[in-house]
Amino acid sequence: MIRYILKRAVSILLTFVTVSVIVFLMMHAVPGGPFDGNDMPVSKEVRDKLMASLGLDKPLYVQYFKYMWGVFHFDFGVPFQSPGETVLQLLARAWPPSLILGGLGVVIGATIGILLGIAAALRRNSWIDYIASTLATLGLTIPVFVISMMLILMFAVFLGWLPAKGWDKPNSWYLPIAAYAMIPMATYARYTRSAMLDVLNKPFVTVLRAKGLSERRIIFQHVLRNAALPMVAVFLPMFIGTATGSIFVEAMFRVPGLGAYFVSSITLRDYPLEMALILMITMMFCLAYLLTDIVYALLNPRIRFGGKS
Amino acid sequence: MMQTALELRNLSKTYHIRAGGGLFPAVNTLHAVRGVSLILPRNKILGLVGESGSGKSTTGLMALRLLEPTGGQILVGGADITGLDHKALKPFRRKMQVVFQDSYSALDPMMTLAQIVAEPLHIHGLGSAREQTDQALDWLVRVGLDRSYGSRYPHELSGGQRQRVAIARALILRPDVLVADEPTSALDVSVKAQIINLLQDLQAEMGLSILFISHDLSVVRSLTDSVAVMLAGRIVEQAPTEAIFADPQHIYTRSLLDAIPALNPKDRQRRSFISPAQIEAGTPRYSAAALGIPPSDVPGLVQVSPDHLVEAVVTP
Amino acid sequence: MTLPRPRRVALGAGTSQTPEIPLMRLLDIQNLTVSFSQHGGLVQAVRGMTLHIDQGESLGIIGESGSGKSVTCMAALRLLREPPARITADRMVLADVDVLKARGAELAQLRGKAAAMIFQDPMTAFDPSFTIGHQIVETILAHRSARKAEARSEALGLLARVEIKNPAAVLDSYPHQLSGGMLQRAMIAMALSCRPKILFADEPTTALDVTVQAQILQLIKDVQIEFGMGLVMVTHDLGVIAETVDRVLVMYGGRVMEQAPVQDLFDTPAHPYTVALLASIPGRTGGRRRLTEIPGASPNPANPPTGCPFHPRCPVAVARCSQDTPVLRSTAPGRDVACWRAE
Ligand SMILES: Nc1ncnc2c1ncn2[C@@H]1O[C@H](COP(=O)(O)OP(=O)(O)OP(=O)(O)O)[C@@H](O)[C@H]1O
Ligand SMILES: Nc1ncnc2c1ncn2[C@@H]1O[C@H](COP(=O)(O)OP(=O)(O)OP(=O)(O)O)[C@@H](O)[C@H]1O
Ligand SMILES: [Mg+2]
Ligand SMILES: [Mg+2]
Repeated sequence: MIRYILKRAVSILLTFVTVSVIVFLMMHAVPGGPFDGNDMPVSKEVRDKLMASLGLDKPLYVQYFKYMWGVFHFDFGVPFQSPGETVLQLLARAWPPSLILGGLGVVIGATIGILLGIAAALRRNSWIDYIASTLATLGLTIPVFVISMMLILMFAVFLGWLPAKGWDKPNSWYLPIAAYAMIPMATYARYTRSAMLDVLNKPFVTVLRAKGLSERRIIFQHVLRNAALPMVAVFLPMFIGTATGSIFVEAMFRVPGLGAYFVSSITLRDYPLEMALILMITMMFCLAYLLTDIVYALLNPRIRFGGKS
Repeated sequence: MMQTALELRNLSKTYHIRAGGGLFPAVNTLHAVRGVSLILPRNKILGLVGESGSGKSTTGLMALRLLEPTGGQILVGGADITGLDHKALKPFRRKMQVVFQDSYSALDPMMTLAQIVAEPLHIHGLGSAREQTDQALDWLVRVGLDRSYGSRYPHELSGGQRQRVAIARALILRPDVLVADEPTSALDVSVKAQIINLLQDLQAEMGLSILFISHDLSVVRSLTDSVAVMLAGRIVEQAPTEAIFADPQHIYTRSLLDAIPALNPKDRQRRSFISPAQIEAGTPRYSAAALGIPPSDVPGLVQVSPDHLVEAVVTP
Repeated sequence: MTLPRPRRVALGAGTSQTPEIPLMRLLDIQNLTVSFSQHGGLVQAVRGMTLHIDQGESLGIIGESGSGKSVTCMAALRLLREPPARITADRMVLADVDVLKARGAELAQLRGKAAAMIFQDPMTAFDPSFTIGHQIVETILAHRSARKAEARSEALGLLARVEIKNPAAVLDSYPHQLSGGMLQRAMIAMALSCRPKILFADEPTTALDVTVQAQILQLIKDVQIEFGMGLVMVTHDLGVIAETVDRVLVMYGGRVMEQAPVQDLFDTPAHPYTVALLASIPGRTGGRRRLTEIPGASPNPANPPTGCPFHPRCPVAVARCSQDTPVLRSTAPGRDVACWRAE
C-alpha cells in the first residue's frame, strides 16, 4: 500500500514538471508580449528596458529555471497587472471567495445529489425517481448562466428575498452557491442512481437477502459500500472545480473571486499570474487523483491486497 | 515430432497475503502454483484435474497471460509470450480464448447475449455489424440455445444457459488454443454431451487444442487425450488418459478415483477419507535400479513408464 | 505457516429427536407458476409445480438446464424480484409461514434461519468488499444474539467442518483471494450457520473435486440426521443424487415430469425424458468417444410447445401428446408420472 502511494506520488511529480514545461513554452510561443497591447503603446526602447527589468530578454530555459526555482521557494513573482502585490498576495485575497463558493457548492450539491440518487434507485419508476432524473437532466443541460439568471429573477427581482450580487453579506452567498451546486447535484444524482442499480442487480445481493439480513442493512452496509467505488472516481476530481470557482457564476453574481483573473492573466500576458494559476490547478488535479487512487484502493480489497484484474 | 500449441515451463505464482490490519501487517506467502510444466500438443485435449484450491485456475489464467506469473515461461506455438507487452500480445489474444470458471462475471450485464457473443469479432474488427450479429446468433444455436436468446440479458438466464453463452463467446473467433475452466459444471448431462461433442467436432474441424480444467472425471475420461493431476500447486501425476484411469500411481490420484460417486443408490456407502497426512506419507517410491535414474529422497516428477510421470521418491 | 486446527463444533447441539414425534411438513407447494415479463414477452419459467418435503427428508430435483429448478427454490424463499417475476400458487407454505402473504421482517426471519440456500454460482455469491468471516458472522448475528467473538469462533469451526484446511486464513480472506471450491464450501458453511430447518442446495458441489465432494455430501447427510433438516438437492450430477437423496423429482420445461423414490428412478425410469436423461450419462469405461445427447432443442420458455413440453423430442410421442398437457398422476405408491404413454 505504501509502495503503491509512493509510486503514484512520483508519477504525479513527473506530471507536474511536464505540465509546467509545456505551459511555459506555450505561453511564450504565442506571438506578442505583455507590452504589445494597443492601450499602452510604448517605444521599442522602453519596451526592451521593461522586458530586461522583468528578465524576459533571457533565453527561455533560463527564465523557466528561474521561475521554477522561485516556485519551489513559494515565490511566484509579481503579477504584471497589479504590481503593488505579489502573486501570492493576490491569490490570498481572491481565492477564498472562490474556494468557499466552490467548496460549499460541491458539498451541498453532492449531498443532495447522492440522496436523490439513492432514493431514485431504491424506488425505481416512482415519483421520486422521475423528479430526480428530471432535475439531473435540467442541471446538466441548462447552462449555468441561465440557471443563475433564473435564480436572480426569482429570488432577487420578484421575491426580493436575497441580494442579486456581491459577496460581503452572508445572505449574498445563497444564490451563487445554489447556482454552483446544480452541476454537482445533477452529476451525483445520475451516478449514484446507476451505481446503486448496478450493485442491486448483482447476485450477491440476493444471497444477502437469503441470509435474512434486513433490507436496511443490505442497502446501507453492502450496496452503498460497493456503489461507492465507482462514485469515488467522480467525486474527487469534481472537487477541483472548487479550487477555481466558476467563472460564470462569479461573473453573474459579481463575486470578487479568482474567476476574473483567469481571463485577464491570459489576455494581458501576465506570465507570472498565468503560470501560477495553471500550476495551482495542475497541483489540485494531481492531488485529487492521488487521493482518489488512495481512497479507491482502501475501498477495494482487490487493489489493497492485489489479485486477479 | 509433435507440434506444441501451448507449453508451460516451470510456471509459478506466489501471493503475498496481509494477515491482520494496520500499516505494517505481517505478510504471509502463499505458493498457489509451484513449478508447473505442461505441454499441450496441437490438436489435443489435455485435462487438468485435482484438489480444489490446488492452483488449476491460477495456472490456466497464467497460461493466457491474464494473470502475471511469478516465475517460469509460457510458449504459444513455440513463441515465448512471457514478457510481451499488451500490444505485442494482441495477435496471440485472438488465437487464445478462455471460458472462465465464474462465467457470470465475464458477461457484461448491460449487453444483450448477441452483443456479448459478437464482441470478440467486434474487438478484432471482423466483418460488418450485421455479419457479426448473425454469426453470434448461429453460435447461440450451436451451443443449444435459440436465436431468440440473442436479445436477452445475462441475469435472465439459468446457470447452464449462461455457461453456454460464455462457451459460444470463446469459440466464435475459432481460436487455436482454448483454456476452459469448468465449462460444463452447470450443465445437465444431455447438454453437457452436446457441448463435449461440439468441442470434439471443432477439434477435428479446425485443429483446436484445449486445456480442459474440470472436476468431472467422467467428462475428462471421455474427452481428453491426457491428464495432469494437481495437488497443492504441483503436478503429481501426468499420463495419457487411459493410463491415469486404469493404472493410477500416485496415492492422491487413487483417492480421487475412489471418491467418484456411485451411479446406483444401492452402492451407497459411508466412505473413509484419506487425510493429507496419509497422502504425504503415501508418496510413491521407485527403486533407482528399476528406472535407471539416480536416487533422490526429495519427491520429484519421475518417468515411470513412457509418457507416465509421477511425483515420487527414488530409492537407491 | 502453521495454524492451530480449531475444535470442531457440533451443529445441532441438543436437537436430538425421537422418531415418535410426527414428522413436520416443512415445505408444501401446490401448483406454483413463475413467469418473468420481459420486453414484450412472457418467460414461463415454472408452469404448475407441486412438491412437499417433511422433516429429515431429502428430495432431489434434476432436469434440463433452464427447466426452472433454481427459480423454484428462489420462489419458495421469495427471492425473485417482483416484478419482473410473477409468482402464483394455490398454496406455498414454508415452515408454517404462508410465503405468498409474508412481508419484510417476517420473510427476513424465515430466510437464513428456517430455510437457508446454497446458491448455484459460488464465485458471485459473496460481497467482494467484505471478508468471508464478516459475511458468515453477520449471518449468525442476524438470527441470534451472540457476542461477535463467539460468532467468529463458530464460523471458524464451520469452515473446518467443510474441509477447509486453513480456516483461520480463509476467515480473513476476501472472496477474490479464494478458489471456486473454497468459496463454495464457505457458502455451505454460511448456509448451515443458523441450523436451518430446510436447506435448498442448488448445485452445492460443482466446484469441488470428488474427494471433497464426497466429504461435503457426507457432512450434509450427517447434519440432516443431527437435527432433522429437510433437504432439497438440485443437481445435474446423477451420482450426487444416487448418493444423497430419498426421493427425486424430474423437471422439464417448467413442469414436473416424474417423481419417484431414488432407487426406483434409477431402476425403472417411467417418463421418456427420464429414460433419455439417464441414457446420456457419460459412461465409466475407457476411451474417447462421442456422448449421447437427446436429439432436438430445449423448449423455449418464452414460447413453450403446447401439450407435453417434451413431445417434440420424445421418441414415443403420439398425436395426443402435442395437444393435451398430461397431468401428474400416481402410477404406484410414491410414484407420479406426467405422461400419456406411461402405465
Ligand atoms: N488473488 C489472490 N490472492 C491470494 N490468494 C489467491 C488469489 N487467487 C487465488 N489464490 C489462492 O491460490 C490458490 C489456488 O487457487 P485456484 O483458484 O487456482 O484453485 P483451483 O485449483 O482453481 O481450485 P477450484 O477447483 O476450487 O476452483 C488458492 O489457495 C487460493 O486461495
Ligand atoms: N430474471 C429472469 N428473467 C427472465 N427469465 C428468467 C429469469 N430468471 C430465470 N429465467 C428463465 O427461467 C428459466 C428457468 O431458469 P432456472 O434458473 O430455474 O433454470 P435451472 O433449472 O436452474 O437451470 P440450470 O440447471 O441451467 O441452472 C430459464 O429459461 C431462464 O432463462
Ligand atoms: Mg478454479
Ligand atoms: Mg439453476
